[in-house]
Amino acid sequence: MVKKKRLRLIAEMARKIRAYRELKSRPRESQKYALDYETMKRPHTGKMLPVLAWQDVRRESRLFSLLAGMRLFGVGRLFTRKSWLEDHTEPSYWQITKVKVDYTAENMDHGRAWGILTHKGKQESEVKEVDKVMYHDWRLIPKHMEHQIKDFKPLPEPPVRYVPYPPLLRAMLLAQYKKTVGSVIAEEPALPLKRDVLLNKDYFRKQEQETRRTEGTAV
Amino acid sequence: MAASVWKRCVTAAVKVKCLSPSFSARRWLLSAAYTDTKVWEAREKDPQNLAVLATTMDRTYDRNLPVSSLTVSRFVDNISSREEVDQAEYYLYKFRHSPNCWYLRDWTIHSWIRQCLKYGAREKALHTLKNKVQYGIFPDDFTFNLFIDSYIKDGDFKSACSVVEEVMLQEAFDLPTTQILSLYALGSFLATRPQLSVSEERALGASLLICGLKQDNTVGLSAQLLGNALLGKVEMLKGIHAVFKGMPLFWSHGYLGRALAVMERVAAASGDVKLSKDTLDYINGLLQELSSTSDSDSSGEESAGEEEKKEDIVDEDDQAEQAKLPQYVSRFKELSSQLESQDKLDPASFQALVTTLAQQNLAAAEKPDLEQYKSRVQAWESENRQLIQREKEMREKAEQEKQERLAARAAAQQV
Repeated sequence: MVKKKRLRLIAEMARKIRAYRELKSRPRESQKYALDYETMKRPHTGKMLPVLAWQDVRRESRLFSLLAGMRLFGVGRLFTRKSWLEDHTEPSYWQITKVKVDYTAENMDHGRAWGILTHKGKQESEVKEVDKVMYHDWRLIPKHMEHQIKDFKPLPEPPVRYVPYPPLLRAMLLAQYKKTVGSVIAEEPALPLKRDVLLNKDYFRKQEQETRRTEGTAV
Repeated sequence: MAASVWKRCVTAAVKVKCLSPSFSARRWLLSAAYTDTKVWEAREKDPQNLAVLATTMDRTYDRNLPVSSLTVSRFVDNISSREEVDQAEYYLYKFRHSPNCWYLRDWTIHSWIRQCLKYGAREKALHTLKNKVQYGIFPDDFTFNLFIDSYIKDGDFKSACSVVEEVMLQEAFDLPTTQILSLYALGSFLATRPQLSVSEERALGASLLICGLKQDNTVGLSAQLLGNALLGKVEMLKGIHAVFKGMPLFWSHGYLGRALAVMERVAAASGDVKLSKDTLDYINGLLQELSSTSDSDSSGEESAGEEEKKEDIVDEDDQAEQAKLPQYVSRFKELSSQLESQDKLDPASFQALVTTLAQQNLAAAEKPDLEQYKSRVQAWESENRQLIQREKEMREKAEQEKQERLAARAAAQQV
């Protein structure tokens, strides 16, 4: 017989209070992302920024440094990142829809923002949180340039190419088809060169469930 | 043909007027109807005791609770003396650094600027406007017009230009009234031939460019040209990053090239559009200055070894720009001679052109503004009433809940 576990109510309460206090004392965005521009260190963690970023940190500005000086915190305006300007020729930009600024910051320099991303000319359909907000990389698109950036039409994607299967695999496919259906397959099986499957945990879990369903038990 | 004759007559008339400034110098631009405070005063008053509001706000801040925008708007509306303006500034600062900072109402900002102008606290208003990050003051176009006009009235063109710079940072050059007023302020400021630092040149250039892009006539194109030239000068001296950081400007190199493109466009255009002659003279002087500084720089560079390391940060693109300077100078000379031969140089000064434009268009442009303002005031009033209603309801509900809690506690105690 297992000895009955003692009910440690006070320890339970202490655990809850400690969790609550930790929740309350989470550092604000302005504290987390504060930066000492002389030593390039973050006072919160003491870590230094990577060397390749130093020039950008000195020259460019964070998203919220730009948003703080704008009416309604720049809702509805377009913003690009300098790294996108350098990497892609097609324009990529965020259109800001919602802003939650950290009011404890002295210059309203930090916070979170949400918006609609247009990546390489293709606009997405839903509002997402803007990531890398605290990077010193952001540029405002002035109103007189907005139409120039927005008018970009991305080239249509080239159609997916198909390739014949390797011979052994093709033979296996044809044999399986004949076994299940009975007749010989009419057209040649073709292998698409592009699969639009996102390989993450959910996908593999679903695959496993499918095989379990089709195969029944292991033995 | 007839149009250009008419324009020359008008400019001549304006020149005659300018010669006798003491008589009919109409130093302010907006009509009396525009600057009239009647519509604003005709709103329903909400008299509150400022001390009571101040203590409520202090207590709410101490308890870390959010202050409603209604309290702040009531405070600003009921300012009645100069000291209270200072107090209101403090509360605006506190409100901006509170969770409700996004909800600062338009009418509060309008009322704040109006009160500052009424009680002679214009520098305070300008200070809060310049530090708009800390105070959250983002006026709408009507308020901007009033503010610029009050400075033009007193002939203080430098402060008027700082307000125009704020309008540029907000990119609020939507109404034709704002455009005309800002161009007038900028033109008058430049006519006084001030000594400009690099940052002032950048601000002026940006305001001229962004304001000039909205107007499609002689004034607008001259403003664009001058703005591009000033920004090109800053670009040559300090590099492209110093030009567009913190300003709503495009980041590609070659502002001087764009200035020359404006000149080309005017030369190639078939209409009646011209460029003001003194703008071209100014740009000529600017280019000469730049060439002479670049010559002296290149001769004295070998000695400054340490500075060269800093100059390495001036990367290859900026150096490529600087190398293009002699090309720009020669092209400028070509284009200006071309414009002269095509008779597309307007002899009137920039300021005179803006004054004519103002006299022609301002009265017509004011009318839709006034109507929009009236409807806007109505909308603000209704929103204000809604807010007051909501506050009353919430207070009543809180009272009710408190009563219920007290009753429940009394009942529990009795049992």
